[in-house]
Amino acid sequence: MAMPMRRTLVALHRATCSSLKNAEASLDVRHPAPLFLPVRTKKRHFIPPAVGLKMKAGEDSEAKARAAGIVFRQQYIERSINIACTAGVFDPYIPPEGDARLSSLSKEGLKQRTEQIRQSAASQLAIRKIKEYDSLFTTKDFAEQAQEIFIEAHNALAQFNKEKLHSLVTERCYPEMTRGNRYKTIRWRFVESLEPPRVVHARCPDMVSKNNLYGQVTVRMHSRQTLAIYDRFGRLMLGSEEQPKDVLEYLIIERHLVNPYGRWRLHGKTVPSWAPAKDPIIKTVLIPGPKLKPGQEFEALNYHVPKPEAVQWNK
Amino acid sequence: MAAAMTGRGVAFIRNIPGLLHSRLQVLGGGPQQLSCLHTSTSLESKNWEKKNLKVYPPQLPDDPRRPAVVHHSRRQIKYSKDKMWYLAKMIQGMSIDEAVAQLEFNDKKGAKIMKEVLLEAQEMAVKNHNVEYKSNLYVAESYSGKGKYLKRIRYHGRGMFGIMDKVYCNYFVKLVEGSPPKAEEETSFDKAKEYVQNLKNRTIIHSL
Repeated sequence: MAMPMRRTLVALHRATCSSLKNAEASLDVRHPAPLFLPVRTKKRHFIPPAVGLKMKAGEDSEAKARAAGIVFRQQYIERSINIACTAGVFDPYIPPEGDARLSSLSKEGLKQRTEQIRQSAASQLAIRKIKEYDSLFTTKDFAEQAQEIFIEAHNALAQFNKEKLHSLVTERCYPEMTRGNRYKTIRWRFVESLEPPRVVHARCPDMVSKNNLYGQVTVRMHSRQTLAIYDRFGRLMLGSEEQPKDVLEYLIIERHLVNPYGRWRLHGKTVPSWAPAKDPIIKTVLIPGPKLKPGQEFEALNYHVPKPEAVQWNK
Repeated sequence: MAAAMTGRGVAFIRNIPGLLHSRLQVLGGGPQQLSCLHTSTSLESKNWEKKNLKVYPPQLPDDPRRPAVVHHSRRQIKYSKDKMWYLAKMIQGMSIDEAVAQLEFNDKKGAKIMKEVLLEAQEMAVKNHNVEYKSNLYVAESYSGKGKYLKRIRYHGRGMFGIMDKVYCNYFVKLVEGSPPKAEEETSFDKAKEYVQNLKNRTIIHSL
């Protein structure tokens, strides 16, 4: 009696020692309860669910389904995209130097005033194409319509009315207008228009296929506006609500001509290279300095802050 | 067994419905005072990050400038919440430069992670929340909380086992713009004055 007891006890001791060593060496390995203990073991009341599942999860469910005879139809992962606007400005209008600076009484000023859209042939062609699709299109009415679209779009931006903004502004222009503005408050007011808006440029690019026409018309607008942007905490970031500013803008309005439900929507703005610099924001911004070698010292007197080049860019 | 019950026990059993009734009444009347007691919290709700999305209305020009507040957190850090707590309370109230310096030269594992979190929060503040000077921030609130634990078996002798928790913690920090608030030091003279004042404020009720 004693001999077999001792043997089984030794076996038990060895088994528990080995299991303990395993546990200490690799705590992440999940072993089920050892089944080969020769002595009556204590019943394990709780084993975490992770112990049993890990051995069963690695089986091939696809092979099983195929063996059972279930056939899956081929899954087409497709999503149709509707492109309703162009990706950029095709053949942008380059405004002449000093557009709004010369008065109409001087000779140069008169020249600029009499410069009409008839000069550029491509614009005339484009306007003729637009009139094919939209017979009621006239440059004079369109210019006023464009100004209205502009004012409504900016009002919707100030109130952040997403649906209205989407209907007044193309998909390309929307992120440019709203990026970073979600948690800011914008107060914008259109005071008055200094000059009647004029259509200066028109193009009809087509995207992807030959007859998929989009019409892009550039409108020149000189107006007075107030803009004030407040950050998340209600502090003024830019501009002021009382002080209006004179603004000369070249708006690009676009429409998908082939689509009968297409609408004229704001597509972007052109900022000429000779435009005056904007007001700085009410904040000090850190401009990273030059990279210095270990022994060098930073000479603040000789260092000039690099200024960006004056280039026309389409916003 | 039933026969062994004392008279007091029987009286207690008779009173149970009465006690329950009064308890339920308290609970029923409670909602008028505590109506929003744990109505919508769940394990996955990231409320700390949502505090960054609150927009205040624009301030009038003569209002004092509202200081910028940035909330940041890191979830499921492989560290104990109790060990993290020591570090979190160490930096509470310090300016951000001081806090980063202290954590950089601290030997604990959590210090490195906390330093990363603070630097991330500082960058977020400058980029997204219109904070002007990155050193002008101080740690207003900082604490650690329990994350979701993994459970494992820890084998003991004699077929016994224990459930081992693989601990994870979350770390929350709130940075506010401005210089850190100075703790007002109460001198012993002030404390003595307060004590005397308390003595003087005593009243004797129901006296002649």
